[in-house]
Amino acid sequence: MMKYDICIIGSGAGAGPIAYELTKLGKKVLILEKGPIYSEKDFSKDEIAFVRRDIVTPKLKDEYHVIEEYIEDGWHKFPTYDTGWSFWNGNILGGSSNFMSGYFHRLKPNDFKLKTVYGKIDGANVEDWPISYNDMEPYYTKVESEVGVSGEITKYNHHEPRSTKEYAYPALEEHPIVKLFDKSCGNLKFTSYKVPRAIISRPKDNRNPCYYSNYCGSYACSSGAKGSSRASLLVDALKTGNLTVKAESFVYKLDCSEDEVTKAYYFTKEGNKKEVEAKLFVVAAQAVESSRLLLNSKNKFYPNGLANSSNLVGRNMIFTGGGIGSGEFDESNLSKEELFTQGLFVNRALKDWYYTDEFKGGTVDFLFEHANPIRRANGLKRDDNGNLLYGKALQDKLYENFTKKRVLHFEVFTDWMPNDNCFVSVDEKYKDKYGIPVANIRIGAHKQDVKVGNFLAKKAVKVLKQMGAKNIDMNISPLPSANLQAGGCRFGDDPKTSVLNKHCQSHDLKNLFVTDGSFMPTGGSVPHTWTIYANSFRVADYIKTIF
Amino acid sequence: MKRREFILTTSILGISTALNSQEIKSDDTLSWLIIDNIFDILFPKTSTMPSAKDFNATLYLQMNSKHKSFDKDDLEYIIQGAVDFNDSFPNFLNANKEQRENIIERTRNSEYGESWLTKLVYYGIEAMLSDPIYGGNTNEKGWSSLNHQTGKPQPKQKYAKVI
Repeated sequence: MMKYDICIIGSGAGAGPIAYELTKLGKKVLILEKGPIYSEKDFSKDEIAFVRRDIVTPKLKDEYHVIEEYIEDGWHKFPTYDTGWSFWNGNILGGSSNFMSGYFHRLKPNDFKLKTVYGKIDGANVEDWPISYNDMEPYYTKVESEVGVSGEITKYNHHEPRSTKEYAYPALEEHPIVKLFDKSCGNLKFTSYKVPRAIISRPKDNRNPCYYSNYCGSYACSSGAKGSSRASLLVDALKTGNLTVKAESFVYKLDCSEDEVTKAYYFTKEGNKKEVEAKLFVVAAQAVESSRLLLNSKNKFYPNGLANSSNLVGRNMIFTGGGIGSGEFDESNLSKEELFTQGLFVNRALKDWYYTDEFKGGTVDFLFEHANPIRRANGLKRDDNGNLLYGKALQDKLYENFTKKRVLHFEVFTDWMPNDNCFVSVDEKYKDKYGIPVANIRIGAHKQDVKVGNFLAKKAVKVLKQMGAKNIDMNISPLPSANLQAGGCRFGDDPKTSVLNKHCQSHDLKNLFVTDGSFMPTGGSVPHTWTIYANSFRVADYIKTIF
Repeated sequence: MKRREFILTTSILGISTALNSQEIKSDDTLSWLIIDNIFDILFPKTSTMPSAKDFNATLYLQMNSKHKSFDKDDLEYIIQGAVDFNDSFPNFLNANKEQRENIIERTRNSEYGESWLTKLVYYGIEAMLSDPIYGGNTNEKGWSSLNHQTGKPQPKQKYAKVI
């Protein structure tokens, strides 16, 4: 059996930088990806295939999660095949990074030391990171050039230090509503923050720039402009000849001796069991699945799960807290031509309250409602009292909403407070089609998440009102963002209170690294993806020194 | 409420019909006929919008419900719903437009009926607004009626089959 230098489980943002960096050094790298391989030519703006059906994610009846919610008298388990609330986010080469919107925000220096800055919060397990922003900054910068980040710097109070003056790529073209947004923020004395995007605005190697398809979030990019792990890193890694990708290979167990991982076991598409050996293993299957894999890999050396002598694998899961809101715009706000301009980006956010004196705040991103016409129309099928519409009433409502107004959304991102009731475990009662216990996700949220979410949403509502929006709505909830997962293998200096060391290397098994969002003790008040990419580049540099 | 019970009283029209529940064929032909006629009421032609016939709603649902990615529970629910609907309203297909609309309104007012119609409305919307490669949205009538500009490229293969 061939023994690879490095075996990576997963191929998303946490995996790509490792493969990219180490294959360039001549290391023989194997990626075991649960899903199939797609390339740009396979992608289209097909709402049925990419949004409405389980094509690029597993069918929930075959592979699912169990969501544990607190209802009245206690915690109750709900398999997602019953609820349809999928926690899969894209199982193809490149993982969920293919389907992200690419709203890219760095963390800020205080995000690395929240406990020190704000003190202990009752009921929350907030910890400082074992590294500082300065340790991560060079890698944020590297992501800007290698993965590709476009934008324009906004000067405001909380801006993080940068080692370069500008983003690597110029800002994408903006929708005319941005002028109204900027003006309204100016009137309110709010900063209109220009959001950088992981979408390139000019060509890079074999990647074409954004062509403003109007179908971006939830869709893989047909030009390669979006900085997916696949388009931006793995294509180049494959060109070295040192990367092998085994697609449709579901890793269900790792084996180990007392001090190192020895093998990965996986199922092929046909359901056959296979195994592979490597000198070093990197787990990057997205946070929930990474914890599941380690917990399902228990053996005589690690009876509670691989790399789990701390009993913290799966604990302190984090998502992003917050919620959403919206306001409607029509020809009284902008000319019809301007309002219905398609494809161009809003790329604006509020970050003036990223920190407040009393508590950690967050970010509010603004974006037009996604184009998806089936999803939009389906959301219009009831009247204000919740009654099903049909016939002329339904047809008229669809026409009025699609042709006379546009909906500007906002998304609130707060720091999800890690707590004792937010964790991943495995339960022998619930197994997938392979007979492997699925991840049980208890989704308890800290009350501060909703408090901060409401605080930020009210700021966003002020902006919408100032813009003249109608039917303004907001919905802040304690429910987690299924697509933004982190934690479960937090890193730290003390093996008793953390799973990984500061290099994202297992305290227990020196040839095991976890490089998706699992390492994060706190998540920042932003989507995690830029930080996951940057950290993976950082870990790659460390692996180079020991390998 | 019993799952199959759209309303407590059946045969509300008081007229006989050649079609009744006993004639439902094993190949679901009658169920699809009922669904086809109900789609006409759910999505009538208006001054701005195409009808269910215009965007091929029934054929879209028949064809795509055979694909492995289609929720088999949904298909079973839709077909069984049509059987139950026929049990409750055996004269539906012989009824005039006003009577049919009255039946649909009564159906919507029952819990099971509303749930079943909601499924049909959803899949009717899919037929109206999915890419024409799937057999609905004939000549992109659904999109053009709503001034919807689809994204490019459009699919060359159904269900994201790798090219």
